[in-house]
Amino acid sequence: MKEELLTITQASEILGVSLDTLRRWDKSGKLVAIKKDGGTHRYYREKDLEIFASDLMKFASEWIQDGVEFPGTFYCSTSSIFNARLTKMQNALMQKPGFEKLYSLIVLVAGEIGDNSFAHNLGKWPDTAGIFFGYDLAKGIIVLADRGLGILETLRQVRPELPSHVAAVEVAFTEFISGRAPEKRGNGLKLVREVIIEQPISLFFTSGDAEVRMKGADKIFRVTRGQRIVRGCLAKIEF
Amino acid sequence: MKLQLEKFGKTLISRELGSEAFKAFQPTLRDLPKNEDLEIDFSGVLTLSPSWADEFLSPLLNQLDDKLILLPSDNLSVIATLRILQEVNKRSFRTQRRTTFGLFF
Repeated sequence: MKEELLTITQASEILGVSLDTLRRWDKSGKLVAIKKDGGTHRYYREKDLEIFASDLMKFASEWIQDGVEFPGTFYCSTSSIFNARLTKMQNALMQKPGFEKLYSLIVLVAGEIGDNSFAHNLGKWPDTAGIFFGYDLAKGIIVLADRGLGILETLRQVRPELPSHVAAVEVAFTEFISGRAPEKRGNGLKLVREVIIEQPISLFFTSGDAEVRMKGADKIFRVTRGQRIVRGCLAKIEF
Repeated sequence: MKLQLEKFGKTLISRELGSEAFKAFQPTLRDLPKNEDLEIDFSGVLTLSPSWADEFLSPLLNQLDDKLILLPSDNLSVIATLRILQEVNKRSFRTQRRTTFGLFF
């Protein structure tokens, strides 16, 4: 049986990008279209679109690093959109065998990280407001990213003496402090750290050149200095 | 008086919405008779985050002290959130069985 091909309009609806973006991606080789019998119309295999959209970390890191466009289905421009999509993810996750109880802690971790991006960058987004929020529950992965100020610049508003990204991320995950002091805030990432240590959930978190990797059987919380400097924050949750 | 927390939603995540919920609840709270407790019922809540709860339960605890009573929940996010709130507020919530949520965990 011959595989049915999707038109460029259908592909643009599935990926949430414009027709021009798809044409540009075809020319650059990022997402190559199929042309029937030497014609000029672009077509796509559904499977190819699924594979293309599955590389969540690549989309998120290229976006925060270089502002590279990604499928709009992963973009939450406002906190309300993020909350709505998070609820949708929660409802799917609680149906997954083995996650009947654990789902709420995974949603808590993703919710805190995503909500932090909005709360700390409100009215201060350097360019693009909003966050990347992609997930693949079959693979057990959630990716969140923002092009905001990052942890160091946020916390320096209350702790100007913070010397580095590493020190700032350490403080964010271990102390009750907020970039919005004197408001009493800043308990979210502490709980994220505790939940990750106790539960079968892994976390990779980076901001600036600071990296947190909590994975495997003996998870410990440690902030290290990575090779590259990341704009805003990027988090990968695996379960 | 018993408050079904799920009236504010089943997924309670954002700090902004926690703050809104607290403000929206104030008129009801004013009607609470002086000697009556306020019981918080978590049933129906699917996820409770520390950010939302810090905007809602922490100020309620300050307002009501011992008159605020938390009913037991077996939801993992509720248990974890209440544990960190007790740590950050440096005081325990009163629960129905006069234990702290930290002991359940």
